[in-house]
Amino acid sequence: MTEAVDRARVLQGLRALYPEGRILTRPAELAAYESDALTAFRARPLAVVLPETREEVVATVRWCHRHGVPFVARGSGTSLSGGSLPVPEGIVIALNRLNRILRLDPEERIAVVEPGVVNLDVSRAAAPFGLYYAPDPSSQPVCTIGGNVAFNSGGAHCLKYGMTSNHVLALEVVLADGEVVRFGGESLEGVGPDLVGLFVGSEGLFGIALEVTLRLVPKPEAYRTVLAAYRSLEAAGDAVAQVVASGLLPGAVEIMDRLSIEAAEAAVHAGYPEDAAALLLVELEGEEPEVEAELVELLEVVRASGAYEVRLARDEADRQRIWKGRKGAFSAVGRLSPDYLVQDGVVPRTRLGIALAEIERLSRKYGLRVANVFHAGDGNLHPLILYDGRQPGQLQRAEELAGEILRLCIRLGGSITGEHGVGMEKRQYLAEMFSEQDLEVMRRLRRAMDPGEIANRGKMFPVPQQLEAAAAS
Amino acid sequence: MRTGAVLRPSDVDSLREAVRQQPRVWPRGAGTKTALAPPEGAVVVEVSQLRGVLDYDPAEFTFTALAGTPVREVEELLGRHGQYLPFDPPLSAAGATLGGTLASGLSGPGRYRYGGVRDFVLGVRFVDGRGELVRAGGKVVKNAAGFDLAKLMAGSLGRLGVVVELSFKVFPAPRARASLRVDRPGFEAAWGLLRALYTSSFDLEAVDLVPPGTVWVRVAGRPESLPTRVQRLRAFLQGGEVVEGDSGIWEEVREFRWVPSGWTLVKVPVTPRRVLDLERELLPTASLRRYSAGGNVAWVAWPEEPAALSDLLERLDLRGLRVLGPPGLPFLGRVDSDGFSSRVKQALDPVGRFGPYP
Amino acid sequence: MLHEIPVDRYGAVGRRMARAVEACVHCGFCLAACPTYRVLGEEMDSPRGRIFLMKEVLEGHLEPQEAAPFVDRCLGCFGCVTACPSGVAYGELLTPYREYASAKVSRSWPDRLLRWLTMETLPYPGRLRAALRLARLVRPAAPYLPARLRAMVSLVPDRLSRQRGTASTVAPAGARRARVAVLVGCVQRVLHPEIHEATVRVLARNGVEVVVPDDQGCCGALAMHVGEGARARQLARRNLSAFPDDVDAVITDAAGCGSAMKEYGFLFAGQPEEEQARKLAARVRDVSEFLDGLGIEAPPPLLAPARAVYQDACHLLHAQGVRDAPRRLLGTVGNLEVVEPAEAELCCGSAGTYSLEHPDVAAELGRRKARGLLAADPDVVVTGNVGCMVQIRAHLRAAGRPVPVLHTVQVLDLAYRGQGFPRLA
Repeated sequence: MTEAVDRARVLQGLRALYPEGRILTRPAELAAYESDALTAFRARPLAVVLPETREEVVATVRWCHRHGVPFVARGSGTSLSGGSLPVPEGIVIALNRLNRILRLDPEERIAVVEPGVVNLDVSRAAAPFGLYYAPDPSSQPVCTIGGNVAFNSGGAHCLKYGMTSNHVLALEVVLADGEVVRFGGESLEGVGPDLVGLFVGSEGLFGIALEVTLRLVPKPEAYRTVLAAYRSLEAAGDAVAQVVASGLLPGAVEIMDRLSIEAAEAAVHAGYPEDAAALLLVELEGEEPEVEAELVELLEVVRASGAYEVRLARDEADRQRIWKGRKGAFSAVGRLSPDYLVQDGVVPRTRLGIALAEIERLSRKYGLRVANVFHAGDGNLHPLILYDGRQPGQLQRAEELAGEILRLCIRLGGSITGEHGVGMEKRQYLAEMFSEQDLEVMRRLRRAMDPGEIANRGKMFPVPQQLEAAAAS
Repeated sequence: MRTGAVLRPSDVDSLREAVRQQPRVWPRGAGTKTALAPPEGAVVVEVSQLRGVLDYDPAEFTFTALAGTPVREVEELLGRHGQYLPFDPPLSAAGATLGGTLASGLSGPGRYRYGGVRDFVLGVRFVDGRGELVRAGGKVVKNAAGFDLAKLMAGSLGRLGVVVELSFKVFPAPRARASLRVDRPGFEAAWGLLRALYTSSFDLEAVDLVPPGTVWVRVAGRPESLPTRVQRLRAFLQGGEVVEGDSGIWEEVREFRWVPSGWTLVKVPVTPRRVLDLERELLPTASLRRYSAGGNVAWVAWPEEPAALSDLLERLDLRGLRVLGPPGLPFLGRVDSDGFSSRVKQALDPVGRFGPYP
Repeated sequence: MLHEIPVDRYGAVGRRMARAVEACVHCGFCLAACPTYRVLGEEMDSPRGRIFLMKEVLEGHLEPQEAAPFVDRCLGCFGCVTACPSGVAYGELLTPYREYASAKVSRSWPDRLLRWLTMETLPYPGRLRAALRLARLVRPAAPYLPARLRAMVSLVPDRLSRQRGTASTVAPAGARRARVAVLVGCVQRVLHPEIHEATVRVLARNGVEVVVPDDQGCCGALAMHVGEGARARQLARRNLSAFPDDVDAVITDAAGCGSAMKEYGFLFAGQPEEEQARKLAARVRDVSEFLDGLGIEAPPPLLAPARAVYQDACHLLHAQGVRDAPRRLLGTVGNLEVVEPAEAELCCGSAGTYSLEHPDVAAELGRRKARGLLAADPDVVVTGNVGCMVQIRAHLRAAGRPVPVLHTVQVLDLAYRGQGFPRLA
């Protein structure tokens, strides 16, 4: 009862900032925000607010700062690392209604957008001018730019043009203590330290982006999309090394294994060769004469690498289908298993074969199926560990297996995350990748922006063991 | 120019020690960016002894090297394996180091195609203001773990930490190149061409505009397709002279050999549209200009102390960085003071060991 | 998604509902495809949010009353089903859930009155006819009515067609290629009998013998979609016996009815009629699907070139997966350019009785739809469902450009008869 009274009192001030209907506190309203795309974690917030202007966001952050109430900014809740999981008894600031493209300047090749704008909507708006926004996370039809900025999202086409960080030019941000700052500019070049580079990928621990200036790039004149089928996953992995070594610089190099092919084919009927043990997807992009010349060499390399079937996308519709299957593959694996964990580790590209063989071995050791669908050209693995949460002990086994895979990535000289971020899920493993000293400097930076540690509290940084144990009990 | 003590630590531990013991230190690489040299009497920590490539597997398309490694050394090594740093690191013939290139945040004309130094750095180790060795980023081409302090170091001028080790990604070097020179009667026509190229789907390595009316374009790719591409480009440009032996031209640009000795060279980030405003203001002055990266950076050479240039930039709401010439305060033009960078400074260098943030 | 639904407590459909929840991986790919989410931008009004809420209720962790506003606001357009990579059978959760929850949720008396009014009139042509005559008398007072009543009255047609008899069997032109039975249903028969007439003519023209069973009635879709399962079954039962077995297909020309009849097996899950319902459902085809499969005689080209924008009816595209057939049929008409509208996959907001129960969301969707359609600068809008036609027509009129709105078969029919499109009103 006192708790209820407490809540009511805490919320009173916040209610003054929002009209009825834009502050959500009823059980069903809060339940819907309990998880993002990683449902292994759930937390019920105190309230969800739906700001419609940046001033409302700033006022909310200031209110949170004044009252020491933690907050989590949320876009479409597509984080695979639990990055937008609410903080229990904290506020969720849902930015979906800040979804205006404020300025699209095709001549300067920039778009200025609010954080709730959906990734793909930027490219749609730019399309009439022959431009697009390059980073293409698989969730691009739904994920928002604000979330992309917070987690430095990647996608299939990072090989040539990089991740979100390489495409954000300027930011307006409300820091966790309520100060509004702007940095970066509209030019591709800058002077002074790269503050945009620091903010992008900071997992919401500094504050909330209110306005994002994005770089647009001209749409390539031509694409050539090649699908090659292999009898083994290792053979496909080795083919990647050969494609990379050939000196070609494709826009994307992806691999799907048997399980993911099966799932994706069921979902979109992309016409993947279903009997393949692994599928290599390579996309060339650029000027017509150039990609045509590159294609000749690519086909030679691919055929020499042991592909038993090679197919070229017939037309744009076919290409779209091939990509739709690839981009829907994670979710499609939901057809094969009631639950799965997605990992996002990176290994040096020359170690892909070793990493895949080791994952295969671990899969057998733990008796859990692992589907692989990943950005092979970047060495960015995406093992999906299939389990059934209703079977006692399976989740725990899946988590152990996931941990072994992450340690494998670190051991091979890679990273625990290529593009999904650390979030809730991998925070304990960050300490295995960085020393306490490295983390301390990151903590100092965090506290400089957020002395009360109210912004996305509990994410990214490893939690001391005893606290972790206390939380679990 | 007289400086105070110059410390040349031979390893990271002695560098940390040096940082701890001095109340104020100025990190330096090869000192090629003369305008960014330490003021008189300052204690300089030079990283020139910390040199050498630590890790390079050509099949991986990444390398890790110590900060004092000359860029030219790395480029030669990469070149032997058909690879390169696509952003044309400036002043490499003059001896620029990897650390200095990152800390100054400078990229050459080739940054047009795939991005600048900040887009290619993957990870760093640096000594912070407390003398602690800190690692951030990684050695693989994709990495989202922890804060991206490697990017933060780009352009930090050594005021946030002394970078001691860097990892970069590299790309396969194009097998063939061609350069086109297009002359237009007057700046506005040339500027129009620059902007048309900027939104076109031509895959260009570099697009520079040199007043009064010359546009330089560099294309790179496969030898068998290059003639067709050059032909298509010439059709688009309605002319253009293919320049033979062009590598020397671009080397001159990268090394800023067009800047008269003793002049101040200033880097001014700008946007393609605003190039015209800037040129109009600069035309009556004694300056020399080169608009690079498709109009995203103006290199302005100024014959004297650039106070007047600073005012001019401020009027245009632009900001510049001194690169060559006599030392002075690094930034010209608009003053940016935001709560974000001062907090960053406070976190990484709380006692101001690397000097105040300018 | 992991759940703790006590499956056995929910009868024959319990397992099916649970399976839909299991298949959902909470990835959020459905958000962009959901009309209410696009309008309201809040998680509870998204498919992912609704699945989560229904799961919570079925697990006993949430009161049905709490979840009701959000589950009610679902249009049932099934845009999410098309978008879902993991194959969640959303309808197999939503329909039984609504039936389950309807008994547990108390509604305000205006809600109940409206529900009663619609459910007691729409499925019954005689009552509907009477109600419409009454509504026309009320229309002058429309501006003073509450929003939902105003929405109802605004959909009342200017003229009411005279009751027309439909011949019970129509002979094919030329040799008989197939024999089908046609559903004439309820609302469409009263409001727009010309659609059925076009269907029958086009079928006959292409060598199809058409039977129009006398005893048939409302397919039950309207009741099914609002959770009135018992009423839906009662209505559907009549059709189970009315439609003959000796036909190649049972044809519907209203997408909503077609999708409902295709679900008859599921509607009667665990009931004695299940087998019979399954058999009937297996024979149901949308008219465009059937004609496309049969192959049609190309109509003569239009006298003057025209541009048609084809708007998918949700219950044809998303619920029945019929996308290419109507486009191919329209493609046979010479001089007719068929273009795609912006946001083609998004519901127009009609959705059965939805536009009556949630006029605000429906109107916003209608406005958006009209904008998208008009951007294509069409001479005619073509779709495959009477509800969509009524809604789109109203919003085109409101947008000031009352482009004619026709059913796919009407376009074919006009072309066969060498007639042009109706003029702008």
